[in-house]
Order: sequence, then C-alpha cells, then structure tokens
Amino acid sequence: MKKHSSVWVFLSLIALWEAYVRLAAVPGYVLPAPSAVMTALITGIPALLPHMLVTVGEALSGMLIALVLALFLGIAMDAFPVVRRSLYPILVVTQTVPMIVLAPILIIYLGFGLAPKILTVVLMCFFPVAVSFTDGMRAIDPAYAHLVRGFGASPWQTYRLVKIPYALPSLFSGLKVAATYSISGAVVGEWIGAQQGLGYYLLHVKNSYALDKMFACVVLIVFLSILMNSGVRLLGQAWMPYLKRKKEI
Amino acid sequence: MKKFLLVLLSVAMLGFCFSATAEEDVTVILDYVANTNHTGMYVALDQGWYAAEGLNVNIVEPTEGATATLIAVGKGQIGVSYQEDVTIARTLAEPLPIRAIATILQHNTSGFATYAGKGITSPADFEGKTYAGWGGPGEEAVLKAVMTNAGKDFSKLNVVTSDGSGFAALKDQVDIMWFFEAWDNIKCELNNFPIDYMPLRDLDARLDYYTPVLITSEEMIADHPDTLRAFLRATTKGYEYAIANPDQAAAILGKYAPDESPELLKKSQEYLTGQYIADAPRFGEMKDSVWDGYTDFCLQYGVIGQKIAADQLYTNEFLPDGQ
Repeated sequence: MKKHSSVWVFLSLIALWEAYVRLAAVPGYVLPAPSAVMTALITGIPALLPHMLVTVGEALSGMLIALVLALFLGIAMDAFPVVRRSLYPILVVTQTVPMIVLAPILIIYLGFGLAPKILTVVLMCFFPVAVSFTDGMRAIDPAYAHLVRGFGASPWQTYRLVKIPYALPSLFSGLKVAATYSISGAVVGEWIGAQQGLGYYLLHVKNSYALDKMFACVVLIVFLSILMNSGVRLLGQAWMPYLKRKKEI
Repeated sequence: MKKFLLVLLSVAMLGFCFSATAEEDVTVILDYVANTNHTGMYVALDQGWYAAEGLNVNIVEPTEGATATLIAVGKGQIGVSYQEDVTIARTLAEPLPIRAIATILQHNTSGFATYAGKGITSPADFEGKTYAGWGGPGEEAVLKAVMTNAGKDFSKLNVVTSDGSGFAALKDQVDIMWFFEAWDNIKCELNNFPIDYMPLRDLDARLDYYTPVLITSEEMIADHPDTLRAFLRATTKGYEYAIANPDQAAAILGKYAPDESPELLKKSQEYLTGQYIADAPRFGEMKDSVWDGYTDFCLQYGVIGQKIAADQLYTNEFLPDGQ
C-alpha cells in the first residue's frame, strides 16, 4: 500500500477533476474532463502516431548527439583544467537562455527541417549529461588513479580503466534527467516552426479550440518522457548489473 | 490652514473614491501586440473618451491566441479576433459563447506574399513551394481553395507552421507567407525588401471576410448592453479621429507601442485611413453576406461541420447610429 501511495493520490486527483468538471458543468473549451481526454487520445491515435514518431526520432537523435558531445567535452574538461575553467561557465550560461527565445532564432539559421529541433534537444540535454559526467570523474579518489598510473597506465588507460567506469553511475543519472527533457525539447522546437511532430499537432489543435485533443497530446508527451527515462534506467541496469543489487540506479 | 487643507484633501479623496467606483471596468484583450488595427481604441483611451463614457478601459496583449476563450470565460469584456476564429469557435460541438460586435476593417486586406524575383505571382505557381503559416484551422482550406481554383494540386505544397520568423525568411527559408497589407507589406517597403503580393479577396470573393473584428461574450450582450454601446461610441470616435488625423493617431499609438518604428506606424496609419470605414455607412458595420460567404466557404472545404446563421455570429445592434 505504502509503495503505491503516489498511484492512489494520482487516481484520486483524476477522480476529483472528473467530478468537478461534471458537477460544475465546466465547458470543454475551459477544462475537458479526464474521460474526454482519454477518448480524444484513443480516437486520436491514428492522427497522433506519425507525429509521435517524428518527435521521438528527434528526441533520440538529440540525446545521442548530446551524449557523444558530453563524453568528449567531459573528458577534455577533466584532463585539462584550463578547458574546464574556460568552458564550464559558458555551459552554465547556455542553460540560462530561455529555449522559447532560442528556438525561433535557430529556425532562422537552420530552416524548418529536423535540424533546429534536434539542436533544441541537444541544447537541453547536453548540460545535465556533461555536468554529471565531469562531476562523477572529479569525485574519484585520486588514489585509484595514482594506483593504475603507478602500474604504468597511459592517461587514456587511466580513463578507460578507472575514471570512466567510476563516473558511469553519475553519467546515467545525468542521462535520466536529459531523457526526461528530451521529448519536451523536441516539442518546443516543433511548436516554433515545423511541418510535423507533436508540437505541430499541439499548435493546430490549440488554434481549433480543441482542448481535449491538446490535453490528450500532453498525456502522450508525459508518457513518452517517462518511457525515455525508464529506457535509460533499464539501459543503466543492463550496463552496470553490479549496481542493481545495491539499488544505486 | 493645515486643518483646512486636510479637509480639502479628504473631500478630494472621497470624491475620487466615488468616481472610481462609478466607473465600469472594461478589459480589452488584443489579438496580437499593439498595432495600427488597434489605433482607435488607444486614441479613445488616450483622449479620455472611454472615461467620459464612464468606462475604465484596460487594454491587454494576450497570451498567444487565446483571446476568444478568454472572452468566453469572462476574463475580458471585449476581444480582438477574426471572422475565421469566430466562425470556427461558434460551430464547435460546444460553441464558445461569443459574438462579433464590430469590424475594425471593412475588407480583408491580407494576402499571400512572396519574395520578388522568385517568380511566384499566383497560386498557379505554388506547387513544389514552401508556405509558412501559423497553423490556423481555416488556413489550409484557403490555400487548398486558391490552388484548386488555379487548377493546381494542394498536396504538392509544403506547409510549415512558423512563429516569429519575419519577412526575411521569404528569401531563403520559405517561399510564401500570409501578409497583412497594413503591417507586413509596409514593413517590407520600409526595409527595401521587394515582394510580390496576391490579395485574398482577388482570389475568391468569399475570402473578403472581416479581419480583425471586436468580439464580446453572450453574457455581456444579455446583461450589459449599455456598456457595449458606450464602449463602441467612444471606439467609433477613436477610429474617426484616426481617419481624420493619421499622423497624430500614429503618435498616440506610438506611446503604447514604443518598440515599433514611428515611421512604420505613420505609414501604416496613412494606409488604414481608407480601410477602417471604407465603403461602409459607419465604422464597424457588418453584413450578412460577408459572414454567410465565409461560412459557405468553410462548409465547402470541411473546416466546419454545420451551417450557422449569420445572426449567431455577429450583431450591429451596439454600434452608434450614423450621424
């Protein structure tokens, strides 16, 4: 019972919402009932599916690019303190620019194709991955690194044998955060300018006053975000089975 | 002496309180950032004509695109919307309780714009091109209609939604955009950006619909008809002033839209002097034929599912009588 308390809270909230809409006769253009949202979701699946595939594709590509970038930059920042000192503040600054402002500017340079959406995802996902990865490597006990170096390991071998494995759990927790953002990042990019994707669909149903379809699309976005998050968690467990027993991931 | 001043002050404050409570609050929700379509209302506000009618008018710019819903739920009393949105909002399974009560412009002064030199001068040239719009429900129907009229296949047009990219995108990013003559065309002119322009009303007579219009809620119509009359009296005065004094009107608008270039406001204002009332007997007056024409158009292209009578969409009854 205790374990599922959040489920019960969630279900009660939904029930309250449904009851409120029905009892107060709230019109659909103000607040659709959960039942209406579910109906819109089920009947809307054929229309939503192609848009969903586009958005998921953008989110996955963006995540992958962010990961590769974060690995490279993370190691560079760890290996060369001057790189860290000069880049880290800039990374923080990039996170303070509101994406809703940046996205239209990206379109001016990159057009209406997939590129600006993927870049939006990269910009949102890169930071948590890079920061958790470098912080993970910094947290290592220097004695470990000294040990392998003492056995004659090259700098790269030190990373491969000690530093990267040590930073993996922290890298995966960064990835989990990034995965949760990735779908929303793609949707923001699509909202600003697109010809397909869930953001494009959202804009269209909003302009048609179809709030039930809008909520249905949001439900789908939430579901996909959770799926991305769980996907990364499962990947982490498969990669590092030794941590599963300790419940660290 | 001190006491006398104190008494005077309290009397003044008391009077202020009374006059403040006597005034009726009216929130106007615009459709977009303040521009020359809204000049008459800003003039009426600036000149104190709303206050003279006993109205305390507050003009707000909207969170994007929710004006009709905000008016429907009473978050504002008057909204700036479009015939397209009113038609669609009124024909939903759960229609929004709104009506148009005046049109700001008598004719549709919007159309398709392309970068001059690309050679896209009619919908017959649209195939294989990219159109950037805002994703409105009636928008694709209009494109489909004008391309079908020209014997072309709409499915060969690439449609993207775009928010915030200016006219410069016409050069490289996209080919066609929906422009408003009083604003976008003049912006291009001021920036020496040459465009080819196709007015909608020349492409299909039914597309000469009202855009923008002032809307209100059914509740306001039922419970506060005098407020609507007072609002439209002062508003009409504002637009008549803008027609007679475009330069001063542009200067007044500039106070409320300080980010726009004064030159743009002035030129746009000059252009609109001929559009606010145009061939109509008075400011704001609308006709059944225009509402029915667009309704038929939407029915034909499946934008709306059912026919709706014009009197369910608009009313002229709150407009002041002509001189």
